[in-house]
This record gives sequence, structure tokens and C-alpha cells, in this order.
Amino acid sequence: MIQDFTYLKPGTVKEALTLLTDHVDECKIVCGGQSLLIPMRQGLLVTEYLMDIKGLDELSYIKYDAKEGLKLGATTTHRAIEQSDVIKKHYPVLALMEERLASIQTRNWGTIGGNLAHADSAGDPAPVLMTLGAKVKLASAKGERIIPLDEFYTDLFESAMEHDEMIIEIQVPPPAAKMGAAYQKFNLLQNDMGVVGVAAMMTADANGTCKDARIVLGNAGVTPIRAKNAEQVLIGKKISDQLFVEAGEAAAGDADPVGDIHASEDFRRHLIKVLTKRMAKQAWEQASK
Amino acid sequence: MTTTSLAKQKLSVINTHVVNIDGIAKVTGRATYTFDVKLPGMLYGKILRSPHPHAKILKIDASKALALHGVKAVVTGKDTLGIKQGIWRRYQELCDEQILPVDKVRYIGEPVAAVAAVTEEIAEMALDLIEVDYEVLPAVYEPMDAMKKEAPTIHEGVERNINVTRHIEWGDVEKGFENADYIREDSFFCGGQAHMCMETRAAVSSFTPEGKMTIYHSNQSAYYLQALMAGVLGMREGDIRVIAQYVGGGFGGKFELDGAIFCSAILTMKLFRPVKICYTREEDFIATKRRTPMHYWVRTGVSKTGKFLAREARVVSNGGAYTGMGATALYLTGFFHSFPYKWGGYRYDGYRVYTNTLPSTSMRGFGAPQAMFCSEQQLEWIAADLGLDPIEMRRQNGHTPGYEVPGQAYIDSCGLDEAFDIMAKWIKDKGKLPENRGIGFSAAGFMSGGIFNWFDTPYSFSSAVITINEDGTVILHIGATEIGQGSNTTMAIIAAETLGCKVEDIKVHSGDTDHCPADLGAWGSRQTLMTGNAVMRACEDAKHQLLEFALAKMGLNIVYDLDIKDRWVHIVARPERGMPWEELVKIATRGKDGQRIIGRGYYTPHRKGMISPAYSYMLQGVEIEIDKETGKITLIDSLTAHDCGQPINHLGLIGQLEGAFSMAAGYGYLEYMPYEDGKLMNPNLVDYKMIRATEMPETPVAEIDTYEPEGPYGAKEAGEGLTNPTAAAIGNAIFHALGIQMKECPIRPHMIVNALKEKAEKDKTAKKGK
Amino acid sequence: MEKKAIVLNVNNQDYELYINPKTLLVEAIRDYIGLTGTKRGCETVSCGACTVMVNDMAVKSCSILAIQCQGMKIITSEGLEKNGQLAAIQNAFLHEGSYQCGFCTSGMLMATSALLKETKKPSKNEIKESIEGNICRCTGYNSIVRAVEGVANGKYKEGSL
Repeated sequence: MIQDFTYLKPGTVKEALTLLTDHVDECKIVCGGQSLLIPMRQGLLVTEYLMDIKGLDELSYIKYDAKEGLKLGATTTHRAIEQSDVIKKHYPVLALMEERLASIQTRNWGTIGGNLAHADSAGDPAPVLMTLGAKVKLASAKGERIIPLDEFYTDLFESAMEHDEMIIEIQVPPPAAKMGAAYQKFNLLQNDMGVVGVAAMMTADANGTCKDARIVLGNAGVTPIRAKNAEQVLIGKKISDQLFVEAGEAAAGDADPVGDIHASEDFRRHLIKVLTKRMAKQAWEQASK
Repeated sequence: MTTTSLAKQKLSVINTHVVNIDGIAKVTGRATYTFDVKLPGMLYGKILRSPHPHAKILKIDASKALALHGVKAVVTGKDTLGIKQGIWRRYQELCDEQILPVDKVRYIGEPVAAVAAVTEEIAEMALDLIEVDYEVLPAVYEPMDAMKKEAPTIHEGVERNINVTRHIEWGDVEKGFENADYIREDSFFCGGQAHMCMETRAAVSSFTPEGKMTIYHSNQSAYYLQALMAGVLGMREGDIRVIAQYVGGGFGGKFELDGAIFCSAILTMKLFRPVKICYTREEDFIATKRRTPMHYWVRTGVSKTGKFLAREARVVSNGGAYTGMGATALYLTGFFHSFPYKWGGYRYDGYRVYTNTLPSTSMRGFGAPQAMFCSEQQLEWIAADLGLDPIEMRRQNGHTPGYEVPGQAYIDSCGLDEAFDIMAKWIKDKGKLPENRGIGFSAAGFMSGGIFNWFDTPYSFSSAVITINEDGTVILHIGATEIGQGSNTTMAIIAAETLGCKVEDIKVHSGDTDHCPADLGAWGSRQTLMTGNAVMRACEDAKHQLLEFALAKMGLNIVYDLDIKDRWVHIVARPERGMPWEELVKIATRGKDGQRIIGRGYYTPHRKGMISPAYSYMLQGVEIEIDKETGKITLIDSLTAHDCGQPINHLGLIGQLEGAFSMAAGYGYLEYMPYEDGKLMNPNLVDYKMIRATEMPETPVAEIDTYEPEGPYGAKEAGEGLTNPTAAAIGNAIFHALGIQMKECPIRPHMIVNALKEKAEKDKTAKKGK
Repeated sequence: MEKKAIVLNVNNQDYELYINPKTLLVEAIRDYIGLTGTKRGCETVSCGACTVMVNDMAVKSCSILAIQCQGMKIITSEGLEKNGQLAAIQNAFLHEGSYQCGFCTSGMLMATSALLKETKKPSKNEIKESIEGNICRCTGYNSIVRAVEGVANGKYKEGSL
């Protein structure tokens, strides 16, 4: 049963930020609500005010430019990202990740900003966006700031966002030359949440060595985790299959998973090892094409 | 020309393309379920549930809840007669469950109190205001622990918590093992499974001052619920009317009393206003019942040519807190564990043990999916151990028409042999498989309704009344229940075939105890055969009455045989001579002094042993792909070879088989009910995984036509039995792909990874040894 | 909490409702408007029984606030037929036996109708993915896939049975 709340419906971002300041600490933001309404219905989340930004169309956009990269408005739906030609062309990993994110119904209504703000460590977009070097633009009545997504997640369902702030934009730098990126989650049902998920991005230099690598683990700890030891295994190296195996092993060490009914802590580490090996390889194959 | 071909009837409705008679209602949103029922003045109920797996209820104080504006009543065990009930009515000791317990709770989620309020929300708020003092008792969750001497007593007077034992034996088991060239022993565990009906349990009860009760309820047997409710309320059966609305799924979980029906009834008797209770999905998971988890130990002895000489099996099942239909499941698992083979000697001992967990009960397949998971995998391993062809090894021991399972069952129709041919061809045609793919199959059989009268009903197992209106329209009343399996359509087809009219002439009323004659309902695959026979006989009765007038009207020599097909009454030998159906009905009605033509039919099985009047046979093949590194299973393809006698409703048959496959495959590798300290850890559809469209492979069906003499038009079971073989078939596919033996169901990814690791180590040691 | 007066357009009909803003779309449709074809099967946005179309998109009405849907076009299973003439997808479901207990059927119809609005000739995978968010415990899904294929290839048309 959802506890009663006062419903706020701003017409503009500016109005939204004012309302947020007025009701700071007592206000939750709902956009698609695909994640938020579940704990509200279970009585786990109670709020005095609920501000609905679903209708803020000024935040629903996908913009790309070769210099600036990609800009996603916070209220852009998952389905819009999945079907965007520009994203399919420049960031195929993002579109492929969206295809496997929950059901079509959820993707039709749920938004990228809402997903990131929910800060569920099992969420699919964050690991992929983190490997792509994404940043989030936060706004409050006081102004705006941009922080790397890497620094956004602080704890279980917690983020660096202040209570008077909201995400208004996600920025992804233009893809580097000779870059490959891949994402896979382990699950038994095609579009189910990942038991664990691994995103990998690699770039190659002219000599065929790995110039840069980013590996991010989903549902492998309280927040998405950068597998920095795994990255170090790859960066600057002449790539071989053996290195992917070693990166997998390092990633298993980088992870900090908890066991639950779907997989024990050990099995999660095992899965991270396997998926990291595979995703790094997949990313590399694209990068070195 | 033989006499059989003359006598053989040409069928005009049966096994043709008939659209479900409930179809339009269901595809236009018109079908109303109990979930949708709204009566004037209706209140909403909610149930307070035990947070403890085992505790004495010391005191319940509802005063704060009653003070909440909008709350109309709170009831507890003290407001009931305190009668212990159970569906195995014939045996007092198995009637062990008070739906609202008076003094003790035995599992987490058990009802403790119920509230009625003007809205569901107020009722829910009131739950938080009820204060219950418990004395928490030590609890036990696993049957092996519960049988120990020092284990807590769950039911007074039940030693070592053993609820039911079952023994089945025939032939000479000892001699069989003595003569065996090869003996293999294995232990298995098969987990529970949730029925997961899309419509959660729901009831609307309405008690009126004249002392009559009407209950709308989503169920599989209106008659059982009427009789059981009469027992617990101290009322006469006839004063209680149970009406099954459209039912959103059953699968064996909806023919016992549940908290929704009982608590809504107790509340309405206090308030004289209708009370509706709908379970949430979580309540449906934690407080209904489930498929019985079973520990299996199997020892099998065969000759070197693969003759099945002896088998011995022992089962310890987790009964949970109460008996329910668990007593039947314990018997049937032991019986079907022998299927579909002839054994020189067979012995089974089953123990059902109480624990402080959700009660287990019947679920589609009724103990047989567990039995087949163990049996059919072990047989596959034996064939491999001996270097025998697994199909031919099975075939030489398979049931055949006319076989008697000693002292247990008589097999009449049996299409098993042909099923082996079909499966062998399918596997051969698949040729060499890509890496990490495997094919497995499993055989199984199932019953067409049960015979043993544990409910102690004084009525025929099935009855039907058919009324023919003067305009030729027909009304069929049956107590059977339509739960989505297509029963109403099947009965309309049988009625139309028998009477000689069309399906659209027939209106079916079912599952309403005031208007329909008693029928045991939709469980154990009984309705097609049993209700079908009752319907056929009722129609034959009515048809006979009609044909008397036709014979007289047409002034025929009495040796002429008359029949009706497609609304045309005619001489069988001269089909062009006759009259329209509508005309005959008019004449007959007039001839009967204006009485409507009414036919009555009933069926109770006789001389068919104690288990079932007929048995279906099936083979299920699956092709899977396995990710060796992660243990993930993907279903690639499947083949079902199924002998269901004469198919009646073709569309319904295919739907039942495809549906059974998805539920059974889910049992094999997805559906899993983990408990921690008596608490179900995944009581929601996020964490309880089931097959979705993206996981379903193609499901082609090869129908094997046999004729079952005991069934209406030769029909027997279809749709429940196919839940039995699939988990084993998946296990066998894994065995063939990777050479590992999976002894726990569902087969989960880490088990495959671990088994491969063990195998690699073993292979390494073996190599070193050489 | 302040109740709100809202207008919802369901099956081309405006309904004026006076609701608590926490009212879910499925509650507005079932409990306030009284269209019970749309079902509820879970509390976790998992089962899809509550699927309706909002502005031609399939959405789960249990995870949306009714108040968010003002000014939008909501279609439920009751809105598929026109003057007793069934939509092609309804005829397809009938003839392929794409339902058994029927409890998931409204949601399945709306999910597949939305797919067919978007893609006239969906592939088998696209069909399966369109109903991936909908659980059916009875049919095993393949008959539903066949029904959509039957509409796509012109085997089933709108009209009476």
C-alpha cells in the first residue's frame, strides 16, 4: 500500500528545482516510476511530497555531435535510446544494453535519468555508461555541476546527489578511435536483471597494443564497481587470450559481491571472471578491427 | 466387412477445429473472475499472518484495530468452531488444519486473524493494529531433521512428525536383485514449485439472515469446497452455494480450503455483508501450498541385456505443516516411479514428514515429475553404464495394451511403443550436434482421474444433466470446473457429438453447486474421462427419448437404426431419410405432455483397480545448449510424442501440451523455492523465475492415436501428465552433452559448473592412475 | 494529501475522476472506471497482466500513476473491438487458442497490439520480446506467437468470428 503523499507537478525544470528546494529532505522525484513505485507499494519508501517530472519534455532529448559527444536528457526513455539511430551508430553497446533492459513496457515508460538516480547496483545502464566515460549533469536551484558517473555512486541505493539536486543530463564523450565496448549480464531469463553484469571498453593503438581499458562490474557490490586491477592487466599490453583470462581473475578480486538465493558470493566471483574474460575479448575484437 | 467398421461411428464434432466456447469472453475482457466480483455493500478483508514458523498464540488483542474508522470486524480462531479439517475426509487423523488456528501456528504466513473494512486499504492498516502475543516454539524445517527423536512435535500425538507412510510392492524384489547382472543406486532431491496461478486466491462470501451462504471462489472443485465449508461452519451442504467464476489457473492448488474462502465466510457470518478477500502475490507464495519437495533413494537391478528385474525406492517428502493432498502425492509418486515399465519386482516406501514450512500438496503431475526426474535419469545412466541403446532398453520393458500392473492397475490402451519410434527418429534426424548441445528424452505416463474415494463422497464422481429446449437449444449442467483447461468446450463437444447437434447449440453451466450436480472437479486429469462419460451418458439418455418419437413419427420397421448428426435425424442405412433436429425436439416435447426433454448421466469408475480408469503415455525430448563456463541452460528445441487416446478438443489438446512443457521445463531448471529458517526467500515474481516467451523453444507435438475403451469416444488424459518427463529430459540432455549426472532439481547453473569441476578432477585422477 | 480531479481518456471516452494522487493507473481503470478486463497479477511490475496501451505504447498500468496519464490515449482490452467486430489480434487469439485461463490474456492482447502498431511484420524474436514482460502460466506462449504471426501474414483479419 502506497502511503499518502502530496503530488507536485512542475511545468519546467526551473519550477522543479524551486519545488525541490522548498521541500528538500521530504521530497522524492518520480519520473517513469518503474523502480520507485515498487518500494513505495511495499511500504519501504514513504515520502511527504512526490514530484513528478515525467512530463518535463525539455529533458527528453538525444543529441549527438562529433566533438561534444552524446547528450541524453534525463527524461529520455529507455526505448528511445534503444531505437535511436545515432546511438546505434556511435554507441552500439548502449542500444544493445537497452534491448535487454527489462520488458518493453518498462522501457517505454522508464527513463535513463530515473534509472541512474535509483542507484541500484544491478542496473544495466551505469556499468556501460561508466566504461564509456559518461558524466552526469546535476542541477539545483543554486546551479549546475557535472560529475563523472564513476564518482556518482556512493553506497547501496545512495549517490553523490544532494537532496536538492536532480539529474538533468547524461553526457558521453565521443567514442575514441579504435574503440570497442561490450556488455553482458548473467541471467536465466533473457531480459531479467543480472545476477552479475560486466561492461568492458578497450581502445587499441596503431601497434595493436591496448591503449586504454575500462571494466565495470554490475551487481558485484553495493555500487557498480570499476575493476581497476583488471584494467591494469590489459592497459599498455600486447593483447592475448591469456590476458583476458588474467583480467577475469583480477576482476573477480576487484568485485565485492554478496551471496543471495540467486548465486553465492563465490559463484558470483566465478561469473565475473568468465564474463570479464569474454567482454574484454569482445571489446578488443571490435577495437582492433 | 467386419462388424466393427459398421459399428464404428463417424465423428462430426470431435477433434475438429472448435474455438473455445469461453473464448470471446476471454479475448474481449468480458470474462469476470472472482478477482473482479463486486457486490452491493461489499466489504474488503485482509488476513494477519504468523511471522513465526512455530508458536503458541497466547493472546490476540484487536481493540485498536476495531477502533479504526471503517473497520467492521476482526475475527480469530476463537470466532470459529475450531474444527480441524482436511481434504482426506475419510481419515480423521489426516484432517489436521484449522484455517484460523485457535492456539498454535505451524508455518510463517499461516492466518492468525482477519479484518473486514470498508476499503482494502483500511483493512490493511488495521492489520498493523492487531496485537498478538506468541510463545515462540522450536521449529524444524527439513524432513530428515523432523524425524529425529529430539525434534519438536508439530502435531500433538504424531510420532517423529511422520504424517503419512505408503508402501507399494509387487513381484519378487529380492529375487530380482539376486538375478540382476547390474545394480545401481542413486539419491536425488527434487524441490518444491509454486502453482503460480495468474489469479491469486480470491473469494467473496455473502451470508444472509435466512442462514444461506453464497461463495464466489476461484477454484478447481466447487463441490469439494461446498462440502468442506459445510464441515467447518457446521452448516448443511445445501445451505452453502459455491460458484466458480472464471478461474485464473489452478494446477492442483485450488481445491482445498484456503484462507480467502474461510476467513471471508467467518467475517460475513458476523457481519451479514459480503466480504471479499484477494491474496497479494506474496500471500499466494507464502500461504497457499506447493509441489512436494522429495528426497528420493532408488536402487535398480537389470540384466545385462537391460531387462528391468527389480526396483526399490524410498521417498522422504517435506510435508510442511499440514496434510492437504500430500497423502495422494506420496502414493502417486511411488506408483508412477514404476512407470511406464514392467518390473519383475517393485517396492516403494514413502514417508511424508511434517515440518514448520508451507504445506505441500498436489500440483500438476501430482508427485510424478519428481518420480520421473529420478527414474528416467537413472535409467539413462544404466543404459550408458551397460552400453545399451536407451530407447531400446526402455522399449523392451515398456507397458503394452492389456498389461496389468500387479494388484494396482489395468492398462487398456497404450501407445508407448509408437512413441519410442517417433523419439528415435527425431533423435536420429538431429544428427551430430554442435558443441555444447545435448539431447535428452524421458518417458512417462499418467492417470485419467483417481478412483480411491478418500473424500468419502456419497455422490457419483461425475454427473451431468442435459436439458433440451423446444427450439433445439441445449443446456448442459455439470459440476465440473472450467479452469482454463477447456473443460466446458470439451464437454460441449462431447454433448454435440452425442446428441447430433452443433457446439453452438449448447450452453454449458459448470461449477455452481446450486445448479449443477456434484462432480469432484478438475484435478488428477479426471474431467475429460469422468465428466465426459457422464455427459455422454446424459446425452444418450436424452437422445434415446428423442429417437423414440422419431421412430414413431417416421413409422419405421423397428430393426432400423436411427441416429442424429449435424442437426439431421436420419436412418443410419439411408441417411437421406429423416427430419431436422428442431422438428424432432418439438414433436418430442409435445409428445411428453409438454415436459422438457431432460437427460441424466453419471460416472463412477468400477473394476479398474484403486488408482485410475485409464493411463496416458508420453515421451518428451529436449535439445539444450549449455554454457560450460557459466552453467547456463538454453532450451533449443523439443518434441512431444503423446498418446491421449482419441483427442476431443484439438486446439485445447495442443495448448495443454505446450503449457505443460513450459511449466515442466521451468521445474527442471528455473523454479526454485529456497527457505531460510522457515521463511520463503523469493515470494515474488522478481525472484521466482519462470519461463517466459523468450525462453520457450518450439514445441511440436506428435499425437499418437489410440482408443481408450473406458473413455468417452476413446479419450483419456492430456495435459497434466506431460509435466512429468521434462525435468528428467533436461537432465538427460546435460548428461549426453557433458557427461555429468544431475541429482538435484531444479538444475541450477552453479550445480553444472561444480559437477564439471568434479568431473575434470576425477578424469585427471583416472588418467594418473593409468 | 489532497485529492485531485483528473480526466482520463480510456477507449476514446473521457472519464472525470476524483482521486488520491497515489492511485495507480490500473486502479483507476478497474476500481474507478469499472473496466475489469485489465488484471493485476503481482506487486512488482513483473507479470504484465495489467498491460494497457498509452499513446500506442504498451505499458504496465500497475507501475504508473493515473495522474501521469492525463491527456493521453489509454486503450484497454475492452477497447479493441469495434461495434461487436473483433480486432484481428482477437480473432487470431481465438483461432490459435492463445489463452487458457484467460487471466493474462488482456495484457497479452495489449502488448501484441502495441507491437503490431509499431511493426506490421514482426519477426518471431520481436514477437517473443514484445511479450517477454508478460507471464502466462497456461499456454507456454507459442500459441500467442502463432496468433501474432497469423495477423502479420494476413491470416486473421478484423471482423466477427
